[in-house]
Amino acid sequence: MSTQNNNVTITSVMMPIVEFPVVTEQTILKEALEEMDNLHLGVACVVNNEGHLLGILTDGDIRRKLLSVQKPLSAFFIDDAIEHAIINPIVISPSHSLYDAVVLMDKKRVWDLPVVDNKKLVGLLHLHPVVNALLNR
Amino acid sequence: MKNNNMNTVEVGYGKVDKVKVGYKLPLVFIGGPCAIENEDHAFKMANDIGEICLKLNIPWIYKSCYDKDCRSSPDSFHGTGIDSGLKILSDIREKFGVPVVSDFSDPEWATATGEVCDLVQIPAYLCRQTSILRAAAKTGRPIHLKKGQFMSPWNMKNSVRKLEANGCNQIILADRGTFMGYNMLVNDMTSFPIMNRTGYPVCFDATHSIQLPTSMGNISGGQREFIPFLVRAAVGCGINALFMEVHDNPKNALSDANTVLDLKYLENILAQAKIMHETRLEILDKFGEDNVHPE
Repeated sequence: MSTQNNNVTITSVMMPIVEFPVVTEQTILKEALEEMDNLHLGVACVVNNEGHLLGILTDGDIRRKLLSVQKPLSAFFIDDAIEHAIINPIVISPSHSLYDAVVLMDKKRVWDLPVVDNKKLVGLLHLHPVVNALLNR
Repeated sequence: MKNNNMNTVEVGYGKVDKVKVGYKLPLVFIGGPCAIENEDHAFKMANDIGEICLKLNIPWIYKSCYDKDCRSSPDSFHGTGIDSGLKILSDIREKFGVPVVSDFSDPEWATATGEVCDLVQIPAYLCRQTSILRAAAKTGRPIHLKKGQFMSPWNMKNSVRKLEANGCNQIILADRGTFMGYNMLVNDMTSFPIMNRTGYPVCFDATHSIQLPTSMGNISGGQREFIPFLVRAAVGCGINALFMEVHDNPKNALSDANTVLDLKYLENILAQAKIMHETRLEILDKFGEDNVHPE
C-alpha cells in the first residue's frame, strides 16, 4: 500500500463503542437487527457483562441464515443474537498500526474489525473511515 | 441450548419428598384433581394417587387449585378459596409427605401460595402477564409455567425472561395444546425441543391438551380417549415431567369434568409413560443427543 499515513493509529480512526451496535448475550436477534439499522451498520458486536467480545453478527450472517434456516420468522427473531453470531471473530489490538489493520481486512476480506484490548471491546474499525484516513481526508 | 446444560428444577421444601425435574432424571408426575373440592376428597385423591406412584416408583407432585379463575361460566365451581384451599394443601404435605402445587390468578395471592406450595403454577391464560410472572418469581419457589394456548413455543422465552429478570431460575415449561381455530386444540410436539432451548425442563399437560375449550357452550368439552396416545408421543419426544388432572368420579368432578382422567386409568398410563421414558433415556445413551440438521 502506498500512503502517506502509515503511522495513523487505530484508536484515532476506530468508531467508539456508542457509535456502533453493541449488544449483550441476552439480546434477541430482532433487537440486534434494529440496533444495526438504527446505526446504519451491517455489523453488531456481542459482549458479555464485562464488555468482553463474544462474537459478531453481520448482515451476511443473517442473509445466509435466512437462506438456510427454515423456521418461521417470528421464531428466528426471538433467537438470541449470539446464536447466529460468529464466535471468536477476527479482531485487532489497538497497539497495531492502521496499516496492519488494513492488510488484515484485505487478507480476511472483511469490512469491519472489532478492536479488542485484553479481551475487552474498545471500538470498531469500519472500512470507510479507514479509507478516508489513509487518503488523508 | 444443549439438553445436557438444562437446569435441574428441585421441588420440595421442609419434610416432603424432594422431587427433581431435569435432564436424564426419572419422569416426574404432576397430578391431582383440577380443583380442591373439599378436604376429604383431596385427601382421598392424594392417598390413591400416592399409592399408584409408590407402586410404580414414580416421583410425583400433588396438584390441585384453590381458585379456578378461568371458568367459562359465572356459575361454575371456582374452588374452596385461598385460605381453606391452602390449608388443605398444607395438610396434604404434612400427612403424605408429597410436594404440592397450585396455580394462582391474582398477583395478591402469590405470597400466600408460595408460603405453602412447593411449586407455584402460572395458568396458561396468564402466561405472559408481567404482574403474575413477577409475583410468582418473588415467591422464591420453582415455577410451573404453562404455555398459553395462543402462544408459540418460541415466544415463551419472553415469559421465561420475565421470571429470570425477577430472580427466578427454577422453571418448568408446560405445553397444554395450542388453539387451532375455535374451540379446538392441537399438540405440536416440536414445542418440547423448542421450549427446552430456554435451558429449562419441559412438561406435557395431557388432560388439558385433549380439551375442547368452551365447546359445550359455557363449559369445556374434551376427548379423553386420546390421552394415552398423546402421553406416549410426548414422553417419546423427551419431556421431563407429565401433568394430568385425575379424578375418582369424573362425571361429578366440580371442575374440568370433561377432561380429567378417571383414576382407574392412571396406573396403566403412568406405567406406559415410565417405560417410554426409560426407553427414551436408553436411546439417548445409545445414540446421543439428536443433532440432525442443526442450524
